[in-house]
Formats: sequence, C-alpha cells, structure tokens
Amino acid sequence: MTIHDIQGYGMFFLTILLTVLLYWYILYLYRSEKKGERNFEKYGRIALDDSIGTPPVEEKSASEEDRRTKEQN
Amino acid sequence: MFFHWLEKNPFYFALMVSIVISFAGLLEIVPNFASAARPLSTTTPRTVLELAGKNVYIKDNCIACHSQMIRPFKSETDRYGKYSLSGEYAYDRPFLWGSKRTGPDLHRVGNYRTTDWHENHMLNPPAIVPGSIMPAYKHQFTNVADIETAYAEAVTVKNAFFTPYGPEFKRTRKAWEAHRPKVLEDAKKIAADMKDEGVKKMIANGEVPEIVALIAYLNSLK
Amino acid sequence: MQSNAALEYDYTVAKLFTYVTILFGFLGMLVGTILALQLAFPELNYLIGEYGTFSRLRPVHTNTVIFGFTVSGVFATWYYFAQRVLKVSMAESKFLMIMGKAHFWVYFIGALIATITLVFGISAGKEYAQYEWWIDIVIVIIWLMWGVNIFGMIGIRREKVLYVSIWYYLACFLGIAMLYLFNNASIPTYFMTDGLGSINHSVSMYSGTNDALVQWWYGHNAVAFGFTVPIVGMIYYFLPKESGQAIYSYKLSLLSFWGLMFVYLWAGSHHLLWSTVPDWMQTMGSAFSIVLILPSWGSAINMLLTMKGEWNQLAENPLIKFMVIASTFYMLSTIEGPIQAIKSVNAIAHFTDWIPGHVHDGVLGWVVFMTMAALFHMAPRMWKKEIYSKKLMGIQFWMQTTAVVLYFTSMWVAGITQGMMWRAVDEYGNLVYSFIDTVTVLHPYYVIRGISGVLYLAGFILFAYNMYKTITAGRKLTEEPQFRTPMA
Repeated sequence: MTIHDIQGYGMFFLTILLTVLLYWYILYLYRSEKKGERNFEKYGRIALDDSIGTPPVEEKSASEEDRRTKEQN
Repeated sequence: MFFHWLEKNPFYFALMVSIVISFAGLLEIVPNFASAARPLSTTTPRTVLELAGKNVYIKDNCIACHSQMIRPFKSETDRYGKYSLSGEYAYDRPFLWGSKRTGPDLHRVGNYRTTDWHENHMLNPPAIVPGSIMPAYKHQFTNVADIETAYAEAVTVKNAFFTPYGPEFKRTRKAWEAHRPKVLEDAKKIAADMKDEGVKKMIANGEVPEIVALIAYLNSLK
Repeated sequence: MQSNAALEYDYTVAKLFTYVTILFGFLGMLVGTILALQLAFPELNYLIGEYGTFSRLRPVHTNTVIFGFTVSGVFATWYYFAQRVLKVSMAESKFLMIMGKAHFWVYFIGALIATITLVFGISAGKEYAQYEWWIDIVIVIIWLMWGVNIFGMIGIRREKVLYVSIWYYLACFLGIAMLYLFNNASIPTYFMTDGLGSINHSVSMYSGTNDALVQWWYGHNAVAFGFTVPIVGMIYYFLPKESGQAIYSYKLSLLSFWGLMFVYLWAGSHHLLWSTVPDWMQTMGSAFSIVLILPSWGSAINMLLTMKGEWNQLAENPLIKFMVIASTFYMLSTIEGPIQAIKSVNAIAHFTDWIPGHVHDGVLGWVVFMTMAALFHMAPRMWKKEIYSKKLMGIQFWMQTTAVVLYFTSMWVAGITQGMMWRAVDEYGNLVYSFIDTVTVLHPYYVIRGISGVLYLAGFILFAYNMYKTITAGRKLTEEPQFRTPMA
C-alpha cells in the first residue's frame, strides 16, 4: 500500500462519511422541528432582541439546571 | 442528540470546525510532499551571488508583475521556451511563480536576455522597450546586496533540508570569510559585461551592488 | 440578574477598532489608487524614490487592506455584536476588558511596524504572506489575544445558543490561525548560522511546487476565512438587526455554514491550474470551486430573502441599500470565481487583469460595503448620536457603486483582451503580438480603473467624514434605537 492508495481510500471514505453527516444533519434539522422538539427559527430572534435587558432566548444557567434536575430524577 | 450537543458546546464545536477545515489540506497537500520536491538531475542549487539576487528580486517584489511559470500551451512555449517542470523548482524557497503578468514571464529569461540588456533596461525600461510601463530601478546600482545573508541562507538550507551545497558551506564566520572572495569573483564576471563604472568600483571595494546580484540571478533562470 | 439593572454593553474596544478600521481603510485604498494610476501613468513611480515603485507599494496595499482594514473591521464588529448576541457586557469581566485593550494596542502598533517593514522591502516573498518571521510571531500573539476574548466571552455568556454569526467568527479565528501558521512556517537564517547576515531573513519550510501548494491553500482560504466567513457573519447580524426581520431561514444559515467550511478548503488549487502541481489536484480545485457556488449562494439568497416583504426599506434606508448591494456583489463574485476556475477559462484568464477585477468586485463591493454599513449601524449605538447625514451616505453609495462597476467592467475587458492577444497566432501558427503590444493596448482600461479608484477613495473619505461628524456633531439620542439606524 503506497501513500497514494491511502490517500485515495481516505478521500473516498471520508467524503462518503461527510456527505452522510451533512444529509443526516439536514434531516435532523427539519425532523426535530417537525416533531416539535426544537425550534431553530426562534434563534433568529437572538440578533433582534439583543439589548442587555431582554431575557435570552434560551438562558444558559436555567437550562443547565433543567438538565441537572432531570439527571437527578 | 449529536448535533444538538455540538451547537451548545463551543469547545466541541471548535473542534468539529477544525476537523472539517483541515480535512482538505491533509488529503490534498500533505501526501504530495513525498513526491513533488525532487529536483531534476540537471537542477543545481543557486550560487551565493544568485541567492543574493533572488533576495533582491524579493525585496523589490518583481513577483508583483512577473511570473516564473511557463504553462504547457504552444503560445507560451513559443514565447518563453520549454514549459516548466516541477523538479526545476526543487530548490526554490520560497517559490516565485507569481500570479500576474503585467510584464512577461521570466522563468527562462536567462536564455534570451544578456547582462548588458538587463543593465540598460533596469536604468530606463521604456528606452529599451518602447511603451513599457515598468519603472526604472536605478537604486539597485548603488544599494549594496546582502551577500552575507545569502551565504547564511545557503548554509541554512544545506543543514535543514539537505540541499546539496559543498563541504565549504559551514555555519562559522570563518567559513564565510573564506567563501567571500568567490562571490566577489562571480560578481566581477557579471560586471565585466556592464558599462556602469560605479558598479565596478563598488566590487573593487569588496561590495556587490544589488543590480549585479540580480542580473546573476536572472541569467541563471534557464 | 436584577442586580444588573444598570448594566450596559461596553464599547470601549469596539470604538478603538472602529477608528483604525477607518484609518487603515483610507491608507490601503489611497495606496491602491496610487498603484492603479501608476499602471496608467508610469511616471508616478518616482514620487518617493525606491520606496514608491509599483512593486514595493503593492504589498503595502494588499496587506493594509487585508490585515489593516478588514481584520480591524472584523475585530471592531466582534467587540460590538458579540456582547449583544451573547448577552454579556465586556464591563462584567475586568480580565477580558484589559485583554481587549491590550489586544488593540498590540495590534495597532504591530500593524504600523509591519507596514513599515514592507516599505523597506523586508519581505518573505510570498504573496499576502510577506511579513518576515518575527512579525509573524507578533501576528500570532495578536490572534491568540483575540481568541482569549472569543472564548472568554462565550464562557461567561447568558444566551445558551451561539448565534450563527458567532459560528462564523469562530471559524474565522480557527481557519486563519491554521492557515497562517502552516504557510508562514520558516527558518530564520541568522540562528541557523553563527549570526551571519540579517536577523530578518528566513527561508520557507517548503520548496518549489510544495511551497506553491501551501501558499495557495493559504492564499485562497485567507480569502475564505478573512473576506467571506466573517463578513457573512457580519451580515447575519447587522441585516436582521437593521431591518427588524429575523434571518429568512436560520436552518439554511447553519447548513451553508458547514457546506462552506467543508468545500472552501479544497478549492485553493484552482490558483495553480496548468502549473506543475499534479493534475488530479487541479481537477479537484476546479470541481470544488463549482460546488462552492452552492453554500455561497445559499448564504446570499438567505440574506436577500430576509428582506422579503420589506423591500420598501431598500428605498428608505441607505444602510439596507449598502447591505443588499453587498450581498449582490457577493453573488456576482462567487459565480465569477468558479467560472474562472474552469480549466479552459483559466487558460485565458490566469495572469491577466481579470483576476484583480474579480478580487475587487468581491472586496470593494462586498467586504468594504458590508464593513462600512456595519460601522454606520454601530456608530449611533456606541456614541449615542444620530448619523450626521443621510444625504452624504446616499452620495457615497452611488459614487462607490459606480466605482466598483467601472473597476470590474474595465478589468474584464482588459483581462480577456490580453488573454486572447497572448495566444493569438497568424495563419502560419506564429504569434501575432509581441508582449509589449499586449501592454500598451491596456492603457485606456488602466485609466478607467484609475478613475474608479479615485471615485471609490473619494466615497470612502465621505464615509470617514460622515462618521467623524456623527461622533463629534451628531444629534444626541436619548435611547438606543431598536432596529433602524436614525439619521439626519
């Protein structure tokens, strides 16, 4: 096996892997939104409601507490 | 979920971006290093004077307007000579292919231009090539070329990259002092074909004008 | 967070970078205009002796607009919008504040010294990477200081999700860091010998064809991560904020982000078509350049669709006009680039003036327009003043748009003319034109480009004047405008 073979196989499989990942990502984005798990479009509001007084779209600390309580249960 | 986790953790996100962007470089560039750097059997490393000339070429940034890459088209080989081969560049650090031809290609300029042509041309380009928009480089006739740095460069590439320079290339000042007369000798040969008296006087004083080094470099481009 | 009722965003560092963005923009464009005029009127080469020739000044122009104007514009906008979308003020962390200020001063002084070295011809010889080794080290330090701020701000953020603009800026940080380190790897000759010669000089770690590959992997992707990625990040924040419309499709912006990240890096070898790099790489470069249209247009269309139903703003608000025409020029240059990367087109286009033409419709039309619009948007919020003159802004817009159109049309014609003349043969197969014929024929186009340079520079001076008057004499604002930037 020469370096060029490794290069060839590496390229082939990595390209397939990344293509799969990309389509998986597209599916994930649209399906999780359809199922109502996530709403990505609301993140567009981050740019609009950005004064320091307005509450964050998703509070960092709050959701971490969420997770912690979930883990405890 | 994998993606969800990726978006919220900046560290893993940065890692993922790094992987995705280094992918191309790893597969496209790195493997080539093994094969493309080999010189042709006729390619020799440049002399110290020519290296000094290359550094003048870089200092005055000739690369802004001149390429050193003859593409494999008939119109180019007719105009500039044989098309360029990878091995010819094996000792070029950095490569000086250029990306714009405001002026003509120079990769084989040594085949069809002479020392006195360059001398007259650098003093006043439009006088030699009517209509030329190249500026004159008169300061190269009085500025001193840095041949010591060029020697240091030769020693560096010899030690770091095994460029085949002879055993007399050592890192000491003594070795440089021993090599210096050889450089002046080369410079004198170039200056013999020039008409500028100041240039000859400088060499007699042990200094090499930039123009002499540059012409030595241009003449070596064949 | 009730205790932080009086908390405000702190724009100290953003303001500092805004000043130097304008300063370096002016200097870089001034030198660029001089260069354009030198090609039309070569006598202008002798204004300041050896330091004023076209060849010496060209790196000054390119490096000042890239590492001076664009990079400080990226820093200025970062220190402005990052606080806002992460919902955390710089004032909340003393450490980040001090680092931010230090970042600015090291950057500013470093940039001045670096520019001076170029004027004196201290150069490593690679295009867009001319700085010698010790300046490279300073640049790496500057970049890491920015990294400290990026990760520091992200670390103390209140908004859990990183807004898409942050993604783009992060990618800019990582991408440039990787490219710059690899391409500038070199060995100082002074330390490899017993102190022989100049301490400035270094030799590249790579030679010949390999050096070319690394250089254009860098050169192409420095455009990607310096001129595309952060500017896309900019428009994803400033266009929605200015227009009051959320991004048309947030999901599409994420998708085109990953697309851009993956595809862009492959396309670098399209700078080396028909050269001595292996054939398969050239083909790869061509192919990926075509694929690159997808993520680029994905972003551009997303920007334009953001204005859906609100196109009336285009007539009413000059800032929207700037941003919309910027995305239009982005679309133009991202379709033009792939066309030039087709091997047969490249055979004519390469080495000609079509290439600088392409670069400039991208940078003048996209990068500079977007950066100016961002600074205009920021000024009333940072200084709490109304924009000094809407009318001036309109005049500036038309002057500069005309200038860009003149620039790229003249260079298209010049480039294709020259490319065709180089290869023209008569009935016996002999070359028809000597090289100098193909130079003199370009004179009228060089004159047109010179005029376009003067026009664009004049427009930039209007911009600087408008900003100056806004800061010093603009009408005071009592509260921060939510969306549309107020202007007199």
